[in-house]
Amino acid sequence: MRKAFALPTVAIAAAAFPLLTMSAASAHSGSYQADLGALNQSGVSGTGMVTIEGNQATVMIEASGLLAGSPHAQHFHIGALGQCPTDADDKDGDGFLSTTEGAPAYGAIGTSLTTTGDTSPDSGLAVDRFPTADNGTVSYERTFEITDDVHAAFDAGTAVLVLHGVDKDGSGAYDGDVKSDLDPALPMEATAPAACGPLTAAQMGTAPSGGAETGAGSTAGTEQQGALAFGALALTGAAAAGPWPTAVVRRRTRPDPGRSCRAADHPARHEPTPCHYPRRTS
Amino acid sequence: MLVLVGVVSVVLVVTGQRSAPQPAASTGERSESVAPSEPSPSGEAPTGQNRPSAVAEQVAEPVSVSVPSIGVTSDLLRLDLNDDGTVEVPPLGPDDQAGWYERGPAPGAVGPAVILGHVDSAEHGPGIFFDLGALRPGAEVTVNRADGTVAVFAVDRVETHPKDDFPTIDVYGNTDDAQLRLITCGGDFDSAERSYEDNVIAFATLVGTRPA
Repeated sequence: MRKAFALPTVAIAAAAFPLLTMSAASAHSGSYQADLGALNQSGVSGTGMVTIEGNQATVMIEASGLLAGSPHAQHFHIGALGQCPTDADDKDGDGFLSTTEGAPAYGAIGTSLTTTGDTSPDSGLAVDRFPTADNGTVSYERTFEITDDVHAAFDAGTAVLVLHGVDKDGSGAYDGDVKSDLDPALPMEATAPAACGPLTAAQMGTAPSGGAETGAGSTAGTEQQGALAFGALALTGAAAAGPWPTAVVRRRTRPDPGRSCRAADHPARHEPTPCHYPRRTS
Repeated sequence: MLVLVGVVSVVLVVTGQRSAPQPAASTGERSESVAPSEPSPSGEAPTGQNRPSAVAEQVAEPVSVSVPSIGVTSDLLRLDLNDDGTVEVPPLGPDDQAGWYERGPAPGAVGPAVILGHVDSAEHGPGIFFDLGALRPGAEVTVNRADGTVAVFAVDRVETHPKDDFPTIDVYGNTDDAQLRLITCGGDFDSAERSYEDNVIAFATLVGTRPA
């Protein structure tokens, strides 16, 4: 009886508020930014930028001051206050603000910002798939699908970017007597939060992906393009044999699907885009 | 022999063509700042924890841009995103115009306002931002707005970055004050890809507003 009654109610509601159902279906898109502040006196600073389009998130993180040569787990934490803890939240007084002690402020792991593969909370400690801070810096970019709970956390202002791993005793490695609250096989230094920033709506409503194609031309002038291409090709062939500058054809080997020189990624969309004004003249 | 053929044919094509000016210090693989006085070249100034723009300043939408030192005056088109998430660029035509990226802040509001223009086109020659790379720190950029007010910016620096290593956070990330980025293409023209390899970006800061 209840069921029979409920169904028409839904139908009536949908008919009465078509716009409501529409807007629920079209997910919010936009850019978010986190200014990373240090935790556990890590000295880490940096910025995270996340652009969400549908259920796809493009995540960029630039951070410095991290323990060099060591992996740093990084996550979206969700489901709490959307804030960062302070070192004073070291409840057990072991000298570390642990990941667990930070949870009342930033919540549980919602997304593991791995370099490859799974991004679920299951990969929260997959140290072999997190960035290693060469020279103490991390420059991360990846586009992947986010889950509905994470998406909702961004909308609600409760998503927080957290980077983990801090060499608190300055030994140059993750070590020490205090064990991790997350995995007793690991030292606390390997998992304690090093930097944190709430993700809030960026001033740039939606940050464009990659660079801008502001130098392309129209379809004219292809005969000269042909000559240019031929010259460049010949130079490429010669470069292997002699000390000739490869300026004309340099930097063609880094197609990065995430951000891009779009003409390279999608030649069909943009070609032909010749232009008569190369900078290098010899 | 190959070398000879290559050089000869490149030189043949290039002879008689104009070349867009580049920022003085743009020859390295990595971008470099033109302004030696810039205190923190790569925008890594320690910023506080989230600092939402304190005053949600209402700024009228831009209608035109002028850069007197390089002879630029242009009405502004509205630019959105392409389907692939890249930024739209103005359509090519004999009367090349610059455009304002409308999903970003309006020029004069706190944040990184973005104006894009072509460096050139095959059919129509030099574009509206052909000389952007020649801009020097201190150069004035003015943006006329729909309410008749004029936002006056001063160029801080001009940088060149590979498109495939675009400094998204530096260019599009939050700023503490009202900023403007003028973007065009530059660097080497990759004839195989038929595209410039770099973007030239002029960073400017609001220095004043003139009343209507």
